[in-house]
Amino acid sequence: MASFSRKLGLLLVSALVLLLSVGGVLLAAYLIKLDGQIRQRFAGARWALPAQVYAAPQELYAGLGLSAAELAHELDRLGYRQDAELPAAGTYRLAGQRLEVQLRGFAFWDGAQAPQKLSISFTGNSLSSVRDGDSGQERDIVRLDPMLIGSIYPKQGEDRVLIKLSDLPALVPKGLVAVEDHDFYSHAGVSIKAILRASFANLRAGHVVQGGSTITQQLIKNFFLSSSQTWDRKINEALMAVLLESHYSKDEILEAYLNEVHLGQDGNRAVHGFGLGAQFYFNKPLSELRPHEVALLVGLVKGASYYNPRRNPQRALDRRNVVLGVFRDEGLLNEQEYRESLAMPLGVVGGRGGGVERYPAFVELVKRQLEQQYKDEDLTNEGLRIFTTLDPHAQEVLETHVLDVLPQLEKARRIKPGLLQASGVITSADRGEVLALVGGRDLRYPGFNRALDSRRSIGSLAKPFVYLTALQQPERYNLETVLPDEPIEVRQAGAALWAPRNYDKQLHGPQHLYMALAQSLNLPTVHLGLELGPAAVLKTMQSAGYSGDAKALPSIFLGAVDASPLEVAQMYGTLAAGGFQAPPSAIREVQTKEGQPLKRFPLQVRQTLPEGPIYLLTWALQKVMQLGTGRAAYSLLPADTVVAGKSGTTDDYRDSWFAGFGADRVTVIWVGRDDNQSTGLSGSAGALPIWARVMRDLHVRSIDPVPPAGVEEVLIEPASGLRADEHCGNAFSVPYLGDSAPQEWAPCTGQNPLSAPLKWLRDIFGN
Amino acid sequence: MSGTHQVYPTVPEPVIQPLPPPPPPATPRVLPAPSPVSGPRSAEDISGGAVSSLMKQARAYMGAKQPDRAAGVLERALRIEPRNYFVWSALGQAYLGQQNYAQAESMAAKSNALSHGNLYVSLENWKTIAAARQASGDKAGAQEAQATADAIQARLSAAAGG
Repeated sequence: MASFSRKLGLLLVSALVLLLSVGGVLLAAYLIKLDGQIRQRFAGARWALPAQVYAAPQELYAGLGLSAAELAHELDRLGYRQDAELPAAGTYRLAGQRLEVQLRGFAFWDGAQAPQKLSISFTGNSLSSVRDGDSGQERDIVRLDPMLIGSIYPKQGEDRVLIKLSDLPALVPKGLVAVEDHDFYSHAGVSIKAILRASFANLRAGHVVQGGSTITQQLIKNFFLSSSQTWDRKINEALMAVLLESHYSKDEILEAYLNEVHLGQDGNRAVHGFGLGAQFYFNKPLSELRPHEVALLVGLVKGASYYNPRRNPQRALDRRNVVLGVFRDEGLLNEQEYRESLAMPLGVVGGRGGGVERYPAFVELVKRQLEQQYKDEDLTNEGLRIFTTLDPHAQEVLETHVLDVLPQLEKARRIKPGLLQASGVITSADRGEVLALVGGRDLRYPGFNRALDSRRSIGSLAKPFVYLTALQQPERYNLETVLPDEPIEVRQAGAALWAPRNYDKQLHGPQHLYMALAQSLNLPTVHLGLELGPAAVLKTMQSAGYSGDAKALPSIFLGAVDASPLEVAQMYGTLAAGGFQAPPSAIREVQTKEGQPLKRFPLQVRQTLPEGPIYLLTWALQKVMQLGTGRAAYSLLPADTVVAGKSGTTDDYRDSWFAGFGADRVTVIWVGRDDNQSTGLSGSAGALPIWARVMRDLHVRSIDPVPPAGVEEVLIEPASGLRADEHCGNAFSVPYLGDSAPQEWAPCTGQNPLSAPLKWLRDIFGN
Repeated sequence: MSGTHQVYPTVPEPVIQPLPPPPPPATPRVLPAPSPVSGPRSAEDISGGAVSSLMKQARAYMGAKQPDRAAGVLERALRIEPRNYFVWSALGQAYLGQQNYAQAESMAAKSNALSHGNLYVSLENWKTIAAARQASGDKAGAQEAQATADAIQARLSAAAGG
């Protein structure tokens, strides 16, 4: 009996040992598998890093047209703050005509610019000198760090800006540890003490009020596991936390956590990590956050949605103050710092989208241009740094006036508020750089982008290309050529009879070519176009940059041509640049995430139209502004600013356009309705008020008055259209190509032998 | 048909602002034809301090056989002075250095268009154009450009000698 029971015991023990061994082997195998997963996840790139998109940096140099107040405004937008002590990078001091700034360092495409102190002086509205803030030595040119304007993240995806623990102010990691995992530096991944404490608190409350997870466990949970509260998940989390701690240092784990943690949501975009969190809530680098700002971010870790400072400011403030209390209790802040921090407001910037997602319409253009060169994954995963052409000042001006003028138009015309839409583009004429772009009234909503995707009939914006086609034939046409303003009927095979009329349904008698354009008369334009032929006119449009599929029919003379505002900007840009076409570009350079230059998008220009005829056309487009449909602009622009432009109105007032340029800025504005119904607004009534305000605020420079080779400026007597001299009262100068100017002298001149007696009389009695 | 040069009443269209009196027509400044040997000789003669400094940087990059970097710096200069023909001219040379011949020629042509007949910069531009055409296999075009460059050189030398 005894031997039986001993045998049984032996058997049981053997079975148990076997079971344990098998279990041990299985457990070991499982742990090895988990260990592999952890190592794999932590080796190499831990995150898909969205591309970061930057605006063009503001250049600072003597002679720049920028006032002290305007520079201070730019600095504010970059997240610099005024502080008389200039304690650190990202601060400035403004005193009258002098601004001192602690500039941030930045890795530009062509080299790094170190953080530095600058002293900048102004005279009136322009910058007079830039000096080194310490040595007082004059600096030729310095750049501000560029504004971060967006990122290219995958749909439904995570967005983050990577940070290094070594670059952070100590309060960030220490504060996080104090609040989230007090024993972080002493436990082995799991804290029995924290679990017991949490269990006790939860038991007392009757439900879960506290988590016992360490920072390591939270990181594991975010990296590998779902957020379900099951036992096997908890056990896995604990095992993996211990394994992670065995491979990686505390600092490595903390750095990963700071980059991983979810801190907010912006539509589809999830804001991850403290680096992006600082930009998203405070519009500045993490290294510049002050204690109350650090406390807000640390507080958000507990629940980014619940404590969302934009939606629930009071709740966020309470949480922040609790965190500040912990900072003080842990000795991270002294009593005075604590009091000062408590008194600070939340300090969160912006509304929806916050500081980063500023210009979705422009970033959309950037994305499209990048997609021609890069795969989607490269853009959303590799952390590329994209340097763009966006000029934040021009963008602000364009946005301001689109938003201001539309409600005024709606009110004046009794249009339902919100019904009008608008879009606009500003480019640099000679280089084709897109400086500003508005895709619709809802500026922060990345929806339908009218500046890129709305192809509408361009109406009279097409007319300059009819006239330019004519002016390329100096033996037949010049600016003084007289055109008939008479009814016309055009019959085309398979189409209804076309009988265009002037906008005012009136006839005005014969018109000089330039005046027909200035007044935007339809009938002289059609007469001229028919002499030239639609194919020739279409070719001129294509040479200027039109790439649509309009057919060569007479209706194109009056703008039966669909184009987007961006395409119109390209076409008018070619005019502004004297016939040199530059494709619209939004990107200058691309860097790797480490700051190494990867690719430059070089300037490209190509002469596609001759400069002489363009000079003549530009002269006529100046008359549009001085005498014609654009003249209301001069109620806003200084009278001595020479600009050229053209209004565009389509059938039934569906589209209101204005396109024009100064020396180096091309601006195109469209106003209309999304349902393509009439707005009752002509180009002069709808788009021009926005255009003129934009050009005024850009301080647009006058068009260069120097004629190119082969163009002769001749004084003309208006009544006869013949050469004039100083004796003719109302003569004015008209440019002619080659020797196409009239050779005959007008009767008023002293040159005409027939008028010698008149001259003699005039010499006696004066004019 | 003789022109009746009056300003017709404009198409009546309601505008937001009351119409201002039209400004006096701008009288274009008629400049004398540039004398063959006058005019600025180098970028420093027409550029501000910022652009001069960038031109210097660009020359250093060109000297270090880094034409791409030079082009980047020159584009920066153009954003400050978009019509500085010396900068466009240097950009043509930078493109030549990058073996982008079509753009080298375009930039030189742009510089010529802006230069108001300045012979010093035209000479450099025609040399660039000749080299770009030669390198891209357009022998006849290269010869033509070189002949233009030679003619400009001859005018400059004659003027200097006289």
